[in-house]
Amino acid sequence: MAKRIAIIEDEAAIRDNYSAAFRREGYAVDAFDARGPALNAFDNRLPDLVVIDINLKDDVEGGFELCRELRARSADLPIIFLTARDSEFDAVSGLRLGADDYLTKDISLPHLMARIAALFRRLEAMQKPQGVDSRLQRGNLTIDSERMTVHWQEQVVALTLTEFWLVHAMARYPGHVKNRQQLMDAAQAVLDDNTITSHIKRIRRKFIAIDDQFDAIETVYGMGYRWLSN
Amino acid sequence: MLPWAGCEFIRETESALRSGQQQMLAGTARALANSMSQYSEEYPDQVVGGLASEQLFLHALEKSPRINGYFDDWLLDSASLRSIRGTDGPIRFALGSHGRMIYIYVEVRDKSVVFANAQTLIFDDGPSFADRVTLVSSSPPYLEERFVFAAEAPGAIVSYKQDSYGFAPETAISAHWQDVPGGYRVEARIPVELLGTHLGIVVNNTADKGVSAARISSYSGPMPFPVAKQSPELTTLASKLVQPGMRIVVTDASGWRLATTGELPSTTSASSFGTAWSQRIYELLVEAGKEASSAEPDPAGREQQPYVSSALGGREMAGWFRGEDNGRAIVAVASPITNGNQVLGALIVQQGTDAILSLRNEGLARLINVTLIATLLVAAALVGYASWLSRRIRHLSVAAVDALENETLHAALPSSLAGDEIGDLSRSFSSVLMQLGEYNAYLRTLASKLSHELRTPLAIVTSSLENLEHELLNEASAGYTTRAREGADRLRRILRAMSEASRVEELMAHADPESFDLRSVLKSTVIAYRDAYNERLFEFDCDIESAPAIGSPELLIQMLDKLVDNAVGFSSAGDTIMIGLKEDHSDFVLSVMNPGPPLPSRMRTQLFDSMVSMRENENSRHLGLGLYIAKLISEGHGGRISASNVDGGVAFEVRLPVDHS
Repeated sequence: MAKRIAIIEDEAAIRDNYSAAFRREGYAVDAFDARGPALNAFDNRLPDLVVIDINLKDDVEGGFELCRELRARSADLPIIFLTARDSEFDAVSGLRLGADDYLTKDISLPHLMARIAALFRRLEAMQKPQGVDSRLQRGNLTIDSERMTVHWQEQVVALTLTEFWLVHAMARYPGHVKNRQQLMDAAQAVLDDNTITSHIKRIRRKFIAIDDQFDAIETVYGMGYRWLSN
Repeated sequence: MLPWAGCEFIRETESALRSGQQQMLAGTARALANSMSQYSEEYPDQVVGGLASEQLFLHALEKSPRINGYFDDWLLDSASLRSIRGTDGPIRFALGSHGRMIYIYVEVRDKSVVFANAQTLIFDDGPSFADRVTLVSSSPPYLEERFVFAAEAPGAIVSYKQDSYGFAPETAISAHWQDVPGGYRVEARIPVELLGTHLGIVVNNTADKGVSAARISSYSGPMPFPVAKQSPELTTLASKLVQPGMRIVVTDASGWRLATTGELPSTTSASSFGTAWSQRIYELLVEAGKEASSAEPDPAGREQQPYVSSALGGREMAGWFRGEDNGRAIVAVASPITNGNQVLGALIVQQGTDAILSLRNEGLARLINVTLIATLLVAAALVGYASWLSRRIRHLSVAAVDALENETLHAALPSSLAGDEIGDLSRSFSSVLMQLGEYNAYLRTLASKLSHELRTPLAIVTSSLENLEHELLNEASAGYTTRAREGADRLRRILRAMSEASRVEELMAHADPESFDLRSVLKSTVIAYRDAYNERLFEFDCDIESAPAIGSPELLIQMLDKLVDNAVGFSSAGDTIMIGLKEDHSDFVLSVMNPGPPLPSRMRTQLFDSMVSMRENENSRHLGLGLYIAKLISEGHGGRISASNVDGGVAFEVRLPVDHS
């Protein structure tokens, strides 16, 4: 049975375009233009993945509310924010509410599709027993590329999809400098300097929360970042 | 204004004083005239028919002259001589009296003096054949007598009396004939008893011996007119009435002087400020009077001033005279002396106005002093006030420029609480600066607001195109779609650039500052630039071992990116871009220098403003945000960015504080 994606977006043209794109990829699509109708529909059945715009007509923070309620109903329902708001503050707020990804509307459809596919893969991988093949061990770091989980010193590091891909791209070849373009390609996104910087900072912070001696990500100024294995 | 008012005041004062003096004099004159009219017998009858000018005037002589043919011992002005027209030139003569003697002096122009001889000396009424002077005397109704002065030779001569009884020498008369070039003079002394009340002078001039003489007489009628002479009674009376500094003149009905007494002060009283130029200023201000000299008694004995004529016409009148040289002024009043309706004569009272003059001079001097002091005070006050104003304006201007440069556009300017025009100026400056600040703030947020608003429509375009690419398209449509995608991509990059500034601000607001070594960061970055821009050469010029700084190295690199991007944009392939770091006065100075065209001076101040681009002929994606972001980052790090033209290129400098911790 086709995976069901719900898209809540007040802008009809975007909603229709994304719906068409999702259907073309073989997904079933439920499209809503406001929080109320969406929640009513979700009472009957939760979709497999939700794409939410934050600003829903007059409901300025409607997307955040919706995310909060959905996360309350299901802990592992993949939720993606797709919004015109590009401020760091909004992104942090969204992710804190338990969203799996925070994307701005200038993301290309192929990138969006890749992310959605990745989230579904992760969901599937979670339901299967853990496979050893997909594991990558770098010192204290353990990466499960199927489940898209990262452990540091045996403790799980809760990373978003983008963050996971960034860590994965760096840690796969420790000591190699990954420049901006390589990181963007790995993260299936078009990111500017500041966004990459912010992502790296958030990643570091998450690792430091586990291990305050963490210094495995090195900034090579003007060039990029590299993972230090020791 | 002040000097004008002062002069006007002085003029008014003088005018008032003078008219006061005139009125006082007029009163005096009326009173005197009244008392003079008591002596009506002293006033001779008026000669009718307008022939009063042919009356002879008997000058009162101060001493008796010697009879020698000279006039200078008469002690009279030569203007005292009467003049009639003779055949060879003017004939001038004068009569005087002293004691019981009458003196006569006659001056005749004569080309050919013909002396008398025994025959021509003794003659009767027939024509004369020698030059001679005759004094005609009569006391109507008696017949006239003649006293003939003719000479056989110059020197003392014998006068002959001719009357109805005959012709005889008159030994009581002494006379002198003096030859002078071009004529002769006759002077004689005659006891007063020999003469009548009417006197005339006849001159006979003959051209040659045997030729009958032409007769020239001082009177036109058949008989001489009464002689005008001083009245001793009136003179005595007047001298009793005269006051110091005053002159009284009494005339008969024809203006002939009957009495003169009193002297006007001849010099002005010493004035403290009688300089010529103050005098001249005054001349310009004060109404003109007549020459003072014309106030003097007429030397020929007949007063003919208009005010005297007016008095003789029965109407009192005042005159006022002013000396050209010393400012001496004379007020004169002529009052008629009447007996019933008959005008007997005129009484003239004259008085100097030296008191007024001195008052006026002192007034003028004080006025000039006061004006000078007042002008100096006013000038000093004006200079003070002007410099106070200009100081405030300068402060205001400096503060406004400071506010503009430091962008403290909401700060209060000096004088903003003042109630005057400078206060207004300051407030309008403040409001202009405030509006400028708001406009700048608007410009700063414009880019990010715009990019935010444009993102949704752009997403519609992009997602539509991406969907379209999955449809079956013919070749032409695919080409259009591709081009539309390219356009949309470009638009997206522009929007990213536009929102970059607000993201940088956001980052700086939230970033935790970290300590880092600026030198090693730069060193590594320069290596990266060498890879990124392989058409330029990069040199890193740093003479310090380490540069401890605090902040966000990523942001500083972003700043450097903008500066380097700018440097690359304005230089050409193969150029060397210098990136320097040095320490200067506890600042690190980070510089990026590139060869290229100098900065246009008009852009110098706006260079780091949002959406200002120096690039003129590029269809580029440069929105003028790069240097604005560089400025944001440098200021976010407590630094300052500046640009300047250097030899053959442009240098950007960022001063960053040293981290001392």
